[in-house]
Amino acid sequence: MKNAMVRGLVAFLLLSGAAFFMGEYHNDVYRKLLLWVTLALGYNFLFGICGQVAFSHFAFYGIGAYSIVIFLFQLHLPFPIAVLCGIALCVLFALAVAIPTTRLEGFYLALATLALGQLFIVVLNEGGAVTGGTGGIANYRLPDIFGMRVRGPWYTAVIALLLLFTYSILKRLDGSWFGRACRAVRDNPEAAAAMGVDVARTRVIAFTLTSALAGLAGMVYAFVDNTVNPPIFGIENAFLLLFMVIVGGAGRHAGAVIGAVLLFLLPFWLSPLVGHHQALVFGVLVVAAILLEPGGLIGIWDRFSKSRS
Amino acid sequence: MGSILQVAKLTKRFGGLTAVHDLDFEVREGEILGMIGPNGAGKTTTFNVVAGTYAADSGEVRFAGEPILGLPPHRIAARGVMRTFQHNRPFAGMPVIDNVLVGAHTRFAAGLWSLVLGTGRSDEAQKRERAEELVRFVGLGELRAADVTTLSFGQGRLLEIARALAGEPRLILFDEPAAGLTPPECARLAEIIRGIAARGIAVLLIEHDMHFLLPLAQRVVVLDFGAKIADGLPHEVRANPAVMDAYLGRHASAA
Repeated sequence: MKNAMVRGLVAFLLLSGAAFFMGEYHNDVYRKLLLWVTLALGYNFLFGICGQVAFSHFAFYGIGAYSIVIFLFQLHLPFPIAVLCGIALCVLFALAVAIPTTRLEGFYLALATLALGQLFIVVLNEGGAVTGGTGGIANYRLPDIFGMRVRGPWYTAVIALLLLFTYSILKRLDGSWFGRACRAVRDNPEAAAAMGVDVARTRVIAFTLTSALAGLAGMVYAFVDNTVNPPIFGIENAFLLLFMVIVGGAGRHAGAVIGAVLLFLLPFWLSPLVGHHQALVFGVLVVAAILLEPGGLIGIWDRFSKSRS
Repeated sequence: MGSILQVAKLTKRFGGLTAVHDLDFEVREGEILGMIGPNGAGKTTTFNVVAGTYAADSGEVRFAGEPILGLPPHRIAARGVMRTFQHNRPFAGMPVIDNVLVGAHTRFAAGLWSLVLGTGRSDEAQKRERAEELVRFVGLGELRAADVTTLSFGQGRLLEIARALAGEPRLILFDEPAAGLTPPECARLAEIIRGIAARGIAVLLIEHDMHFLLPLAQRVVVLDFGAKIADGLPHEVRANPAVMDAYLGRHASAA
């Protein structure tokens, strides 16, 4: 326990400290990288560990982002209340999707979450003054916290904290009876039930929890650019998240991190070479991972380190 | 000796076919009860009704005095009825020891919130130690960290048993555990099942191989066409003409 605290503190200092040695541009890229890693960790728990194919992760990210902005600047709720309301909203939506769909075959969850993802974008675009329509909402900023304005690398530190908070929850769950129940449900639901695992309940909890974590990340994202607009929260990014987890290695936290870092940074190197055709390269990577190494990059690393020892 | 499982007037139909008809039997505490019968006799249907996989059309199933008929499988497991599968069903993405720990799912003290918040003491280490013990008990000690996909069929069967025992059952259900095993593996399995009963766990053993079952079971129930045709001690059952009819056909016993 104590060791974990020390390790967490060191990780926090390293992750947030790096931001103080970067310029404005690199800080911006770095912040988004940390957010992608956070999302990939949550999605990996849902898809990789619990085996649920859902495309709603970015919709919940968006629900978090929009709700904090709307609650704070249109309803003028106090900051902590706005955060709690945003999380409550994500939990409600997650339960509404998960409870009916997880009782059916996995395919229906994919369909329902795909529909939710598309519907969410429609609602954002048609939301009028509340959501700001296609242009989204801008011209707001994070309220001062204890009289201090948190910005620049200090806000990067907030994101680093979010990442480590998300990781610590998921890691604890993964190493517990709940994480094993999730894997058991993924591998063989009937055998899991025979071992006393409530399959539907396990799926609903995993879906709701990871969706709420995505919502929390969305709240943090809302103050990265101080603007929220619909395209960020669309299906394309939900697929990119899936690709990150598959390429990195589904079911492993380290795989999610590697996949997120690689696929987030790859376009920066690729765009001078292939222009806007990076999706093609991603597609090849995903197909290659599925056909050649279902364990993803982390699976290759495992074999490499095993053969050396 | 009190009875741990009581099945009364159990009937299960699939469409027009009555798979189990008006079946009565009981499993007593700490005993090995064998259930035999030719293919299609209704053994597996009975098994699945007791385990909660199938609903029954009528009748009653009581475990430790409480009715359990109609409960979902996970609730029945939580009460202390664990099972193995005839076709091994390991959790392929987890090592042997974690498979066994899934069996202990309902026995963990820490609640979900305390896991999320990281508060409260974990009994993870204690449960892991117990799982290691069970892995050694069934003879998979060397393989405890192995990927389950590398196990042989026989080893997979042993894993099923360790996993079921991890749930601290008072009754364990075996669905044709000897099917597909080699003779030395069968001998080892019989020894393990005796060891389980010696720990005070009642065993309901469904099997169609009489040579495996009769020396092992303390009492035997014989089914044919969904109904009980005999029950008693193994040597009584073996000598029962109705059983010989069911197994060998009427001509054989007449001859």
